[in-house]
Amino acid sequence: METTASAAAAKQVERSREARKARSPVLKKLKRFAPLFIMIIPGVIYLFINNYLPMLGLMIAFKDVNFAKGILASDWIGFKNFEYLFKTEDAWIITRNTLLYNITFIILNLIIAVGIAILLNEVKKKVAARFYQSIVLIPYLISMVIVGYLALAMLSGETGFINKQILPMLGIDPVSWYSEPKHWPVILVIVNIWKNAGYLCIIYLAAIIGIDPEYYEAATIDGAGKWRQITHIMIPLIMPVITIMTLLQIGRIFYSDFGLFYQVPLNTGELLSTTNVVDTYVYRALINLGDIGMSSAAGLYQSIVGFVLVLLSNYVVSKRNRDNALF
Amino acid sequence: MASRKDNLFQICIHAFFIILALMCLMPFALLLTTSFTSEASIVKEGYSLMPSQWSLEAYRFLWSDIDNIARSYGITILVTLIGTFVGLSISALLSYPMSRRDMPMRKQLAFYVFFTMLFNGGLVPTYIIYTQVFDMKNSLLALIIPGLLTNGFFVLIMRTFFQNSIPHDIIESASIDGAGEFKIFFRMILPLSLPILATIGLMQTIGYWNDWFNGLIYITDSKLFSLQNLLNRILLNAQFIQNNASTLNAGEVSNASIPLETVRMAMAVIGVVPLLCAYPFFQKYFVKGLVIGAVKG
Amino acid sequence: MNKRTNGMIAVLLAVILVLAACGGNSEGQPSNAGSTGNTDGAAGQTAELKPYELTVAFLSIGQIKDLPEVQAEVNKITQAKINATVKFLPIDIGAWQQQMNLMLAGNEPLDILVTSTGLNFGTQAAKGQLVELDELLEKYGADIQKVVGGDVIKAGSSGGKIYAVPSVRDWAADYGLVMRKDIVDKYQIDVDAIKSLDDMTAVFQTIKDNEPGMAAVLPEGPSFSVIQSIVGSVIDPLGDENGVLVGFDGELKVVNWYETPEYASLVKKARDWYNAGFIPKDISTNQTTSEQLIKANKAFAFMAHMKPGYESKESLLAGTPLVAARISPAISTTSSIANIMFGIARNSKDPERAMMFLNLLYSDAELVNLIDYGIKGKHYEVKEGNIIGFPAGVDSSNATYNPTHGWMWGNQLLSHIWEGDSADLWTKLDEFNNSAVKSKALGFSFTADPVKTEVAAVQNVKDQFKIGLENGTLDPESYLPEYIAKLKSAGMDKIVAEKQKQLDEWAAANK
Repeated sequence: METTASAAAAKQVERSREARKARSPVLKKLKRFAPLFIMIIPGVIYLFINNYLPMLGLMIAFKDVNFAKGILASDWIGFKNFEYLFKTEDAWIITRNTLLYNITFIILNLIIAVGIAILLNEVKKKVAARFYQSIVLIPYLISMVIVGYLALAMLSGETGFINKQILPMLGIDPVSWYSEPKHWPVILVIVNIWKNAGYLCIIYLAAIIGIDPEYYEAATIDGAGKWRQITHIMIPLIMPVITIMTLLQIGRIFYSDFGLFYQVPLNTGELLSTTNVVDTYVYRALINLGDIGMSSAAGLYQSIVGFVLVLLSNYVVSKRNRDNALF
Repeated sequence: MASRKDNLFQICIHAFFIILALMCLMPFALLLTTSFTSEASIVKEGYSLMPSQWSLEAYRFLWSDIDNIARSYGITILVTLIGTFVGLSISALLSYPMSRRDMPMRKQLAFYVFFTMLFNGGLVPTYIIYTQVFDMKNSLLALIIPGLLTNGFFVLIMRTFFQNSIPHDIIESASIDGAGEFKIFFRMILPLSLPILATIGLMQTIGYWNDWFNGLIYITDSKLFSLQNLLNRILLNAQFIQNNASTLNAGEVSNASIPLETVRMAMAVIGVVPLLCAYPFFQKYFVKGLVIGAVKG
Repeated sequence: MNKRTNGMIAVLLAVILVLAACGGNSEGQPSNAGSTGNTDGAAGQTAELKPYELTVAFLSIGQIKDLPEVQAEVNKITQAKINATVKFLPIDIGAWQQQMNLMLAGNEPLDILVTSTGLNFGTQAAKGQLVELDELLEKYGADIQKVVGGDVIKAGSSGGKIYAVPSVRDWAADYGLVMRKDIVDKYQIDVDAIKSLDDMTAVFQTIKDNEPGMAAVLPEGPSFSVIQSIVGSVIDPLGDENGVLVGFDGELKVVNWYETPEYASLVKKARDWYNAGFIPKDISTNQTTSEQLIKANKAFAFMAHMKPGYESKESLLAGTPLVAARISPAISTTSSIANIMFGIARNSKDPERAMMFLNLLYSDAELVNLIDYGIKGKHYEVKEGNIIGFPAGVDSSNATYNPTHGWMWGNQLLSHIWEGDSADLWTKLDEFNNSAVKSKALGFSFTADPVKTEVAAVQNVKDQFKIGLENGTLDPESYLPEYIAKLKSAGMDKIVAEKQKQLDEWAAANK
């Protein structure tokens, strides 16, 4: 017994000696990269204070907070704060809605934003290109509350633009949009794209602009047409950006744009089967309770689902191309 | 032949963008005309591009609060300028080393940043830290600091750009020439990255400009309200009074007759227009072909 | 490297200490009270009180540009009477929930705050964010107890202890239909003959037949329902309407309101009205207040809960004279009283002084008028007797102090009356409150904490069906059973049982 213990101890001493020996190149490396490490200090400290310190608050999700006792001394109650998220028959519906909407948004926003960016890049007249760029950004600048009212102006049963102008032109009977849930997946997807595509396209445009023109010149000499240039040069070159954007959005897949799902359907009860998502469910659940334990629990639940999905997809990405992975 | 084909292609593109622009502009035009419509005709006819009765009442209502609105514009502009500059600097400094393939612990660093995008401890701990450790309640810092990195999203995007659009060999050759890391960063990397810096800068600007949440929780002193914050408060108060008019007595109802529908739109207009005016500034940096040649020369 | 870790640990410790300290007050309080302990004897002995600054948070909704001047005047009074200064902390309604939650969670200076059932009073009391008031009221709240006595003050209680005191305003409501007078006259509608919902149907039919483009009836406002506006005449909602008492003279039996035959017949009525075209088709997306719709000739009437002076005020808003048909007497429940109250925050370093200030709000007419209307001669002028109005050259558009918050501050009956209202408004209001039918459960307030999981789930179900059913846009034939079933599966029965249990305990304690 004793001998094995001392042998283990000896081994450990040896290991630490080895480690010390190995440290000098580490030191050298540290010295070489010292400027880079200095660069990251402000950001690292900022994230630590702004994001990591408050994470102590995650424990609130497992506590029955009583302010008279203080947060730390409040009773632990296990997963009780999470129960309401699963207690309802609607748990399945809100989970389905949240995931399906977000997947659709990720895919369609990607295709449309990249498409607009590519086309913007092809516009030859500079003034026109700048003008279009500014215009497509406008929707992003309008708040969701206002978008809700504008949508009402379009869709309202009696005075709405679509029922009054468009549908009669096509010979279709007026639709009561706000009482038929089946239309809303389409409406919400359109509103989301309308609002965000212009914003997202700027990121892709920046990536496309950064491509060295020599690539195109070489391709043109090879006789490649526009289409081939786009599919064979542009898209592969902006692939890393596309990948990272997609991964980041997957991380938020269990979150949703509260304004889009609450303000745009005007909180109409009849539409809940297709407009209720995790964030709106939590909002409605807690509006009268104001329980911080339960709201923390919801946030944690959303984060963990996103986290697991990102780890999985990041693993898949890094299998194919280590450089494109998030970490 | 090729040029005719090119022309046709250009025409198609323009046609596409004109339709797209209409789709984006139509609702905005509706917003604009609504803000100039009389409240009465909105209640009667709904929103319209050609209302039966034009009116300046919404703007007149906002004008009556011009002192506060002017001050809040000032605060928003100040906060946006400082916040964007500092935020952009920190982001660039944090993301560049992460983009270097030879940087030790770069994956861990990326994870450190990414983790903050997903997990947060909620409002209460953040609030307690900022107000009680750093004493930022009712200070301009409270409008600037919490938004600096916006969850690391921009940092990771920037990292990807640095990683992909700047060839590693030019960094190597510069460092062989004896340039220090800081010199490489400021003299080569930043000038080469103007499009992405402009992009992220624009996004941060929009973020700061439209931010009302930090003001909502950290500011109670009305002298420090930012524009969106002030507008939000005016609007919600007016809405509250209208919806709870039953609490009031006859002598008090004068406040309840605010033209809410049009004021809401007028507020959106005065919030959006300055941003649109700032956009060309960022577009200046959306320059094609900013490549090695430009720097070498 | 080591140093940096140390630094981080130091910050971390600081944060933990802060988090821990947030609750520290409960232990800190006795010693704080001790520091002012020499005042325990009587409230009037200002000489012995140390100076103290009271931070008073209130809902800011009107024009309060000159609040600093008003505050200075208020301080003259409070310094003389309780040797305290007051620092008003106006918070806008849109920011209220967030800021108040955070202020109560942190350790910021805050002594007095406005609270109400709609502003999370229940949670604040249950989570220990408010100070228990029973003893303080005994010692320093004599004037409060004089005006807000008996059952009324119990409206601000939780678990048998008082945590907030209601302001003196309309503690009751009567319910009915508010109609355009010109149209009532045109069709010679006998307002006094309208005594029930059934009586209304014929009136609505007349409007429908003769006034195209005009809705016969609307709810009280957007995001309300027609039934919701008058439901208080039938039930005591016991706070959140999850588990109610039907009627006002029966036994204390909590039931699931949505399962009752009374509810079924109400939503059936709404459906009939909707189908008959009395309720506008786009009611569920309406964003415009009923008063504005009347002003725009788009509606004839709306359902409402009312109080004395209601019609004259609404007539101003609607821009045309209105008359009301009341279908119920004035009814007083915990909810109607606990609508606006003052509580003392856990953060307070001197809860006793806070109570002394509250007491002044219920006894000192000068103070109340100052806060409600500003400085005499500057912000208002006495017109005639107790009636006041803007000074010459001032109106609501250029007033520098026009907060319209008399209903929030203590005893409103002590204040002047703004021109436009009748001179005997307060007398009428007082009679109204005194003569109101009192719910058997008046003074009981429900603590949702033990069933919060169920309350959360039930709320989502209610959001899905309630307004639609009560405005008639959903057919009760098929949707009411679905609604009931979903409520049950969300745990409504458990809430009802818990409420019954708390009500029984309350009843036993109040025998």
